[in-house]
Amino acid sequence: MSSIILEARDIRYRYPRGMEAICGISFHIRRKEKIALVGPNGAGKSTLLTMFNGMIRPDSGMMLFDNLPIQYDTASLRMLRKRVGFVLQNPDRQIIAPTVYQDVAFGPINLGYPEKEVKEAVTKALRHVGLDGFERRPPHQLSGGEKKRVAIAGVLAMDPDVLVFDEPTSGLDPSGSEDIMELLDELNHEGKTIIISTHDVELVYPWADRAILMLGGKILHEDIPEVAFGNPESVRTAHLSLPILLELHRELQKRGFLLPGKKPRTVLDMMHCLETLFENSRSHTRQGIITVCNVDMDNQEYLSEWLSMHTGICIGAMGTRAKLSAENSRIHLDFTYGVIDKCILKALLGENCLILTAESMVKRVYQRVDAYGEESGVHIPVHRLESEPGVPDGKNGGVP
Amino acid sequence: MFEELLEDIAQKNGLREVNTYLKLAAGLGAILLCLLSTSYIAPLFIALLITGAILLLARVDAKTYAELFMVPVGFALMSVAGIVLITGGHDIFWHWDIVNGFSLSVTRESINQGMFVFCRVIGGMSAMCFIALTTPMTDIFIVLRQCRVSEVVIDLMMIIYRTIFILMNQVIQIYQAQVMRLGYSTYRESLHSFASLCGAAFIASWDAGDDLIRAMDARCYNGKFALLGENRPVERFPCFAVVLFLTLSTTVVIVSGTITII
Repeated sequence: MSSIILEARDIRYRYPRGMEAICGISFHIRRKEKIALVGPNGAGKSTLLTMFNGMIRPDSGMMLFDNLPIQYDTASLRMLRKRVGFVLQNPDRQIIAPTVYQDVAFGPINLGYPEKEVKEAVTKALRHVGLDGFERRPPHQLSGGEKKRVAIAGVLAMDPDVLVFDEPTSGLDPSGSEDIMELLDELNHEGKTIIISTHDVELVYPWADRAILMLGGKILHEDIPEVAFGNPESVRTAHLSLPILLELHRELQKRGFLLPGKKPRTVLDMMHCLETLFENSRSHTRQGIITVCNVDMDNQEYLSEWLSMHTGICIGAMGTRAKLSAENSRIHLDFTYGVIDKCILKALLGENCLILTAESMVKRVYQRVDAYGEESGVHIPVHRLESEPGVPDGKNGGVP
Repeated sequence: MFEELLEDIAQKNGLREVNTYLKLAAGLGAILLCLLSTSYIAPLFIALLITGAILLLARVDAKTYAELFMVPVGFALMSVAGIVLITGGHDIFWHWDIVNGFSLSVTRESINQGMFVFCRVIGGMSAMCFIALTTPMTDIFIVLRQCRVSEVVIDLMMIIYRTIFILMNQVIQIYQAQVMRLGYSTYRESLHSFASLCGAAFIASWDAGDDLIRAMDARCYNGKFALLGENRPVERFPCFAVVLFLTLSTTVVIVSGTITII
């Protein structure tokens, strides 16, 4: 288990002339974890989040970053804020400068980077969130989702270890929300610790490593999502709703169906449960093949050639770069979020799929499919799309 | 209320990618020539060329440009009417003694003077519009910094620029919310609505200021606001066009001398 990066020890905070917003909270967050703070409005989520980068100092108790108590002098706070990036709920409030470039460059400049490094950091951050070419646009002309991405890029440009998001998907349309959640996943895969606050249970239930339910300035429940959201009593107390999959699982159990394995977190898990339940109903004995294409490899020509040979295949793109690349090559995408799971579902039906993704996420596909294979005993072959045909497949390849 | 701002037009005009200095040279040069000219012909000529550039090169919508132009032209016509009636002269066409010692008259000199002023206004206005419609503020900031304007001033300008749009958005939202609930329906009501609009906008801007400081702090604010981008390179064709325009206009200024309309 990785080391602890953020820790709170019995912290309390009262707003001036207000009621107590945080009443004695203790918890810890480990490196590379995906944490969701979930609770109703006014539960103290935002207040707690702003303590992570020292914007608010608790009245009593102690906040620790990297096992050291947070110091509240200017120099230490600067160091802390470089390492803990904070993305506000309203991007309009976070975007300061008149153009996208200037805004993303704000952090690096104030950290004293030389001009060349600033430029590199900005280009990299904008590329990461899929906003290449937006440098000179003024923020007020961007859409809500784009503004959110600018705000995220502004924080990414400082290369923090921990990213804190206050309601990252508020005000975004469903596909915009999924895009942002996927971006968070991508960042997490690059080794960043991600903490978000939200009241969208459905969105965080499959996403988070750990959920912290908050109510009235206290922690109500803290556990893996299946457990944290699995208790209808505490979910109701926290003014939230049960994730639909868990509710379905519960209702099925109540009706005497014995569902195997752990509680389902995704549609794929649910399908597995149901298929084991009705073993005989699985009509397809041959699984489809999942092919993974690394878009960073510059194999456009080979890809289009391959696609012309495999017409009618389902294509999914994972990550902003893959989506951009698909758009540029005019590839029609069938899936843009939850791609791996959807492709596994397709493969179980005997259909072939192609996943476009960036270098860093290729491994993720293998991991997910392997994990599914181990759990369900169904092996789905994963191939890698290489520019030279004949390169051996991945470790999972060719085992139908 | 204000659906399209000049700034939005400037951000996507056809001359956006031309070097800012060239555009400013054309605009400011035109204003200067209008002021130096002693005849009505040169400003009219300049106005014609610049309007052509705005409509054809910058591809600004003609209707928008006409609407924009009508506002100052209205004012100009009013002041020109005053000038024509008040300025004295020898060749009197029309004359009215209102009271002893104060009379209105239309003379050859007053008509010439009025026409001259009016053309100057048109020439200057079109040059101003040219700058406003082709050069977004964000590019002007770069020029200001290169001209060694104090950093504090530029930083403040940038923050104000950014905040204007946020505040504007909020004001529009509050205004619409008021209209939807029948604010501004009577004179009394509209006074009341406007007052509360101002109050709400003030509170909103105060909040925005607080948030701005917080947002800057969260990103390690250390006194440096923002690096400015680079200016576009000077390209041969636009450079040639500006030089040609200024030479041509100067020639017209010199040749037209003191030609008057009548």
